[in-house]
Amino acid sequence: MNTTRRDFLRLAATAGILSQVDPFTSRLFAAPQSPTSSALVVIFLRGAADGMNMIVPMGDPGYEALRPTIATTIAEGVVPLDKTFGLHPAMKSLKPIFDAGKFAPIVCAGSPHRTRSHFDAQDWMEFAAPGDRTMRNGWVNRYLEMTRPKKDNVSEFRALGMQELLPRSLRGSYPVLAVPTSLGRRKTGKTLDRFERFYGDSGGMMEGGDSMSGQREEDRAGVVQSGRITIETLRRFGEIIAVAEKKKKKAMRNNQTVSGTSYPKSRFANRLKQIALVLRANEGLEVAGIDYGGWDDHTQEGGVEGRMATRMTDFSQSLAAFCQDLGPQLDTTSILVMSEFGRTCRENGNSGTDHGHGSNMLLFGGGVKGGKVHGDWRGLKETDLYQGRDLAVTTDFRDVMNEVLENTLGFDVPKEFFPQYSPSKVRGLF
Amino acid sequence: MEPRHLLVSACLTLLAAPTLVAQEEGLAPLTEQQRAAHVLSRLAYGPRPGEIDRVLEMGVDNWLKNQFGFQESKDPRLEDRLSEFQTLSMGIAECVAFTATPRQEKSTIVEQRLARRKNRIPMEELMESVAFRAVFSERQTTEVMTEFWRNHFNVSFTKGQSIYAQMPDYERVVVQQHVWGNFPDMLTASATHPAMLNYLDNRLSRKPPSKQQLAELERRTKRNTGSEERAEEAVQIASQRGLNENYGRELLELHTLGVDNFYKQKDVIAVAECLTGWTIDAKREGTRQYLFNPDMHVDGNKRVLGKLIREDRDGGPGQGMALLKMLGKHKGTADFIAMKLVRFLVADNPPERLVAKVAKTYRKTDGDMVSMLETIIESEEFWNPANVRSKFKTPYEFIISALRITGCEIGSLGELERYLVAMGQPIYNCDDPTGYYDTSDAWLDPGVMALRWEFAVDLANGKVDAVAIPDSFYDQIPIDLPPRLWQHHLTQLILPGGAGARTRAALATVTSEYLEKKKVPDLYELGPELVGLLLGSPEFQQQ
Repeated sequence: MNTTRRDFLRLAATAGILSQVDPFTSRLFAAPQSPTSSALVVIFLRGAADGMNMIVPMGDPGYEALRPTIATTIAEGVVPLDKTFGLHPAMKSLKPIFDAGKFAPIVCAGSPHRTRSHFDAQDWMEFAAPGDRTMRNGWVNRYLEMTRPKKDNVSEFRALGMQELLPRSLRGSYPVLAVPTSLGRRKTGKTLDRFERFYGDSGGMMEGGDSMSGQREEDRAGVVQSGRITIETLRRFGEIIAVAEKKKKKAMRNNQTVSGTSYPKSRFANRLKQIALVLRANEGLEVAGIDYGGWDDHTQEGGVEGRMATRMTDFSQSLAAFCQDLGPQLDTTSILVMSEFGRTCRENGNSGTDHGHGSNMLLFGGGVKGGKVHGDWRGLKETDLYQGRDLAVTTDFRDVMNEVLENTLGFDVPKEFFPQYSPSKVRGLF
Repeated sequence: MEPRHLLVSACLTLLAAPTLVAQEEGLAPLTEQQRAAHVLSRLAYGPRPGEIDRVLEMGVDNWLKNQFGFQESKDPRLEDRLSEFQTLSMGIAECVAFTATPRQEKSTIVEQRLARRKNRIPMEELMESVAFRAVFSERQTTEVMTEFWRNHFNVSFTKGQSIYAQMPDYERVVVQQHVWGNFPDMLTASATHPAMLNYLDNRLSRKPPSKQQLAELERRTKRNTGSEERAEEAVQIASQRGLNENYGRELLELHTLGVDNFYKQKDVIAVAECLTGWTIDAKREGTRQYLFNPDMHVDGNKRVLGKLIREDRDGGPGQGMALLKMLGKHKGTADFIAMKLVRFLVADNPPERLVAKVAKTYRKTDGDMVSMLETIIESEEFWNPANVRSKFKTPYEFIISALRITGCEIGSLGELERYLVAMGQPIYNCDDPTGYYDTSDAWLDPGVMALRWEFAVDLANGKVDAVAIPDSFYDQIPIDLPPRLWQHHLTQLILPGGAGARTRAALATVTSEYLEKKKVPDLYELGPELVGLLLGSPEFQQQ
């Protein structure tokens, strides 16, 4: 499992990346540069987000009747996208991106599996293998593994998890860096410096090693290597961000803004902001993953305002800022938003919704045919619903992943990439 | 003063210096000191201050004798602390009553908040007690093995509030009670415990309604609502109810045989059918305990792994019991349990010869826990220097061992839990029925180390809420030891198994940099700096 790490370190040592001299600049310039290439950002809304109150079927006669207390109407500020659908008022900041043709919602997307268990549904969506309990590599990780570069000069920034624990889609045999966000950046820098003597420099000191010490023992569990990569990548990550922020400050002193973007103050926004910085630094980042939790609105979901609206506001404003921040780079980037399943069409007795089936997926980016609501909507008549209560799934989530892998990342998806699946095109998505 | 100081430093040099023989052979047999460090690392969560010396004094073998087969913590202070918890000793019904929120329409916000808080007490107390036991109990091997079985038969608070009141009972009745018993009994205890029946949904698993039952439901709904559509919907929903394979599959895959070992999908279904009707008495006045409900049971003989499992003629749970008995005696179970134990206690790639030996012990003793562990510690493999400090500590093991080695005082779990969450291993919160993994490949993601370093530095510098390294820890350093040797002594305390050359050199550099800056060196300034580094060192990440 450590080939890449080892290769990277070998390369790093010879290229002088690990040298002790002025680590700040030498590292940055020694970093392998690659031309701007395409990238994918995967966002998972954990807890089964109520897609129907995000892309609101305001034109469907059944909608308001099914949701007496949590429906939102045009009068209340729903932003129409076409005759049937509109954006929830809390998501209005995404309208300009839709109008620019770079936002494509796909309604009634989801898994063919009937499970209503968060755990199974999340796993199976992130492993992209519904019903398969043996799969242990996330779909994104499988992509990384299958496109593992053969050469040594691999960017260690091919993939990032912007959180302490990797999202399951990024987990697997290909090593992906998890950036722990609980660490203050200044503090991280100090911590990394502190431990560099213990992990950072290779060889040299081992001659005096006794039987209970030395390289051999320390490497028995691969700890030193992992620590070394932690230092190396987190430090470079910090530098990329510091350099980018410096540029921004300088620009602001001259009354210019780098991208003119202001993000909301939230965890999610911060993570997106950092991804944007890394993407703009051209460090070879191909995939990034973020989890956004807390969408399990069994009670007090709210309508125009309320718990879910608050979350949607943060979500949408952050995403809108991210798209703006990426600027022209948005054209080579895809942002794919998904959730494990949808929620019941009818609201429950607690002004909330219970576990359902079909939901929607949101796709942003340059290559996408946005400005149009995709997917096959069958209406809200009871007979049209799955088991008489939930949205039916008319687009398999793997169809969307398949399109993104092929179109955004230019990956020729092999036949068994998605087990037990035959691909079907999402008409006109790209 | 002077002679004593000389003696101390001479001893330290002797211990730290490599012997020529060891260097040449690479892997010399373990010294008694290393044996003590090894058992305290594998069969305990590391030593507490002075514990290595105590083990050496009584002899490693005698220490081991005192560890196997005992349950009580042997620490009156710990027992005192645990006795303050309200819910640890509660049965499920009692715990449900304790946490029950009286539904009042007009309860105030404060009342609602209090009710919510009360709901969480069993969870908070259980998690805290697990950590306290691991840190303070003298029966360390009991704690280590308890944690092993918690993960083997994983249940989790992530299931939601319905499981909160079932968990303290599960910890006592399933895990603690059987940790030194035998495997088949623990298997049965888990299979019949409400927490497991809830966690893996077996309580819902039932035979699908018959055609007659569905027809009756349709007639009734039509009569009551006058709507044909409604009646159809009711039938549709009812017909969805039926077999739930969740537990049946995990019983084979995770609890007994191991994944895809001996069984096929048809066996999963047959196992699930044998266990239909194994549910919880959840009625308002019910016992909240395991209950066999014959109305939910799929009748008839079943065939599992080619063997006939007969229906219980008295209409009881006998079929499921026969199934568990068969699984408990199965060769595949013996192999799987042996493999997991050896992987946990010896090496990530478990040596096959030892696995076979332990499996043999399992078959000979009907899965006796003490006998299996004895087979392991009597093996050459357990003491092989190649298997010493070869396992990467899980985040939990890392944190608990750091607290032990520094003799920490702990007020509450609070902030420690935050670090465990950040590192991905909060207590009794593993969503995945596999439980937490104990091999390095599950934990050694790049990035993870940064959090360990942060914790190490925070702990050493008193920045972790409600947790403190007492002054007495630093009092172990002889008052007349010259400051440049403090790092030597601290290394001895925190890495009793020895430190690598790189680590020693790094500590020496930190020390000399400090001594250059400070005219009057302060142990309580340099000490924490060194302790933080030692806890974050590569050596301390291994057990």
